[in-house]
Amino acid sequence: MKTYILKRLGQSFLTVALVVMVVFLLLRLMPTSGYFERDDYINMDEAARTEYLRTLGVLDNPFVAFGKFVAGLSRGDLGRSISVYPRTQISEIIAQKAPYSLAFGLSAITISIVVGLWLGIAMANHKDKLIDGLGTGYIVIVRAIPSLIYLFLIQIWVSGLLGWPMIFYEDQPVSWILPVISIALSSVAWYAIWLRRFMVDEENKDYIKFAISKGMRRKYVMTRHVLRNAAVPIVQYLPAQILLTISGSLVVESIYSIPGLGGLLVYAIRQQDNPLVQVLVLLFSVLGVFGVFLGDVLMVLVDPRIKLAGTEKRKVQA
Amino acid sequence: MKLKHTMAEPAPLQMDQSTRTHGDVLLSAQDMVIEFNLRGRLLTAVRGASLELRAGETLAVVGESGSGKSVLAKSFLGMLDKNGRVRSGSALYRGLDLVGLKTEDDWLAIRGKKVAMIFQDPMTALNPLKTVGEQIREVASLHRGLGKSEARLLALDMLSRVGIPEPERRYSQYPHEFSGGMRQRVVIASAIACGPEILICDEPTTALDVTIQAQILELIKGLQRDLGMSVLFITHDLGVVAKMADRIAVMYAGQVVEEGLSSEVFYDARHPYTWTLLASLPQLGIKGDELFSIKGTPPSLFKTIKGDAFAPRNPFALKVDFEYEPPFFDVSPTHRAKTWLLDPRSPRIEVPETISRLRSRLTETRAEELAGKAADLAARTSRTKKGGGR
Repeated sequence: MKTYILKRLGQSFLTVALVVMVVFLLLRLMPTSGYFERDDYINMDEAARTEYLRTLGVLDNPFVAFGKFVAGLSRGDLGRSISVYPRTQISEIIAQKAPYSLAFGLSAITISIVVGLWLGIAMANHKDKLIDGLGTGYIVIVRAIPSLIYLFLIQIWVSGLLGWPMIFYEDQPVSWILPVISIALSSVAWYAIWLRRFMVDEENKDYIKFAISKGMRRKYVMTRHVLRNAAVPIVQYLPAQILLTISGSLVVESIYSIPGLGGLLVYAIRQQDNPLVQVLVLLFSVLGVFGVFLGDVLMVLVDPRIKLAGTEKRKVQA
Repeated sequence: MKLKHTMAEPAPLQMDQSTRTHGDVLLSAQDMVIEFNLRGRLLTAVRGASLELRAGETLAVVGESGSGKSVLAKSFLGMLDKNGRVRSGSALYRGLDLVGLKTEDDWLAIRGKKVAMIFQDPMTALNPLKTVGEQIREVASLHRGLGKSEARLLALDMLSRVGIPEPERRYSQYPHEFSGGMRQRVVIASAIACGPEILICDEPTTALDVTIQAQILELIKGLQRDLGMSVLFITHDLGVVAKMADRIAVMYAGQVVEEGLSSEVFYDARHPYTWTLLASLPQLGIKGDELFSIKGTPPSLFKTIKGDAFAPRNPFALKVDFEYEPPFFDVSPTHRAKTWLLDPRSPRIEVPETISRLRSRLTETRAEELAGKAADLAARTSRTKKGGGR
């Protein structure tokens, strides 16, 4: 187990390093005008511009520059933003914005796990009954209609109906509810549809029929055998999903004006804020890769058929 | 153990002739009609089948795929698929009509406790994510109300009973760490963990290779002897039937068409369908000749069948077969067949050549078999003496 984890950690680290390097080098191909604030660019002459770029280190050999970037990272220095939040420490920007995304994301994911799994179980238990039909209808609507449409409808109608504020105010807890629900809507559908599917699959397997034929209660079989086994493939995705909540929800955060990380990457790319892009890519890829890694380790814990390379010799006997 | 026979050379038919005395009727199914609703169309899978299972005996139900043998057996456990139901008939188990059981609680008193079932494919019959010991323990604590440690002991006992070496170590292993034959042993162990009176075996050896098949059959036989269970053995392998069965019921198109003692059905079959079944045994073919196969297909069970269901495929069919369903005619007190050929008014029919050949073949193998059995018995008695007896 230990060697496996170490090996996987090494692989994850390599993946992140590659992603960051590739993005870093690609950004070098962008026009250098992105490193200037707008007014500066207009006011400076060519020599001043070159001088400025030199101080930023942009004119260095890209590999030397990458080395500097990594050295900065190891000192905890993420660099400064240029055009999005001029001259602000990037670490500060993230520290300010991430908590919003995290708070909304985590509450939304809690809701979607609880509600989504409940819905999935209910649909599987009452397959082809009313609840299954309603659930399927919900899933189809949420997955098929572009989210922007129903999210706007919720923002406008539901907030009007309940007299809640239409955008996010930090000091009005009631304004936090709709964004959380909006983020949760589609992942509820995701959990429900997959859990239902895996449960129905399991339910039709021979070992379930055999368990029933041995005189076990359907309810007992559903929880101890069907649900437990159906949860395995879902468990794998949980860590990545939880970790990536920090990246925020692009649409919901922008329509409710939540000052989170959602959309920041897109904005930074559009503004050619290269240092910021660089750090955000690093952050998200670390979280994503680490999430997948945790998922794999979790899989091993819940599924005995998956053996870690080299941990134990498989005992096969005829 | 005879291991010299391989797939290429079919094992000679071995008839189990040990005469056992059998007790009262334990399960009596009468005129069972079972229907399935398939997308609005009604399929009558079992059309008035009757059979009786006596205490301590092995009854083999034989028939081709779709003859309704599994469906009939499943109805004794209330395990029909959701779209199926018993329309009429009764299945009396010790005076209790199983057809009348509706709620899960009613069935819980029967399933596993009184009637247990083992399935065809041991590779899929166990939960892959639970240790085998846990899966047996679960049943034991459920039905016998045992505490965890007691149930564990019982599970260990069951594992060694079904011939799994090192049960202590095997207890905490997962199904994927077992071979097919070993898994089937685990399946059997968990089916008998609650001491059922009736064990339904639904083609338990079909998915196993030949040498393992023989071992599993021996195991089932041995357990039956030790625990005094009745076995309802569903199969389409007549070789297995000859080895296992005390009595045989032949099913065709949802009906029992012939039933009798094993020897009666093998030596003195009366129903043309039984003839054709026996004639297709590879053991009876002549080297170089093409094996016999039954022409045509079974009738569609979506339609109501007029007359004898086998008539269209029956070279001996009489006119009356296409008009009226034959009743059962008794051949002996233990043997009856559902064919008009047994009616005194019907013309005498020469038994087909393959069948008469079957008789002589069976007598031959029987002689060899008896010699072999004597040696076998001698070996076994000496072994039991050494082993101190179980």
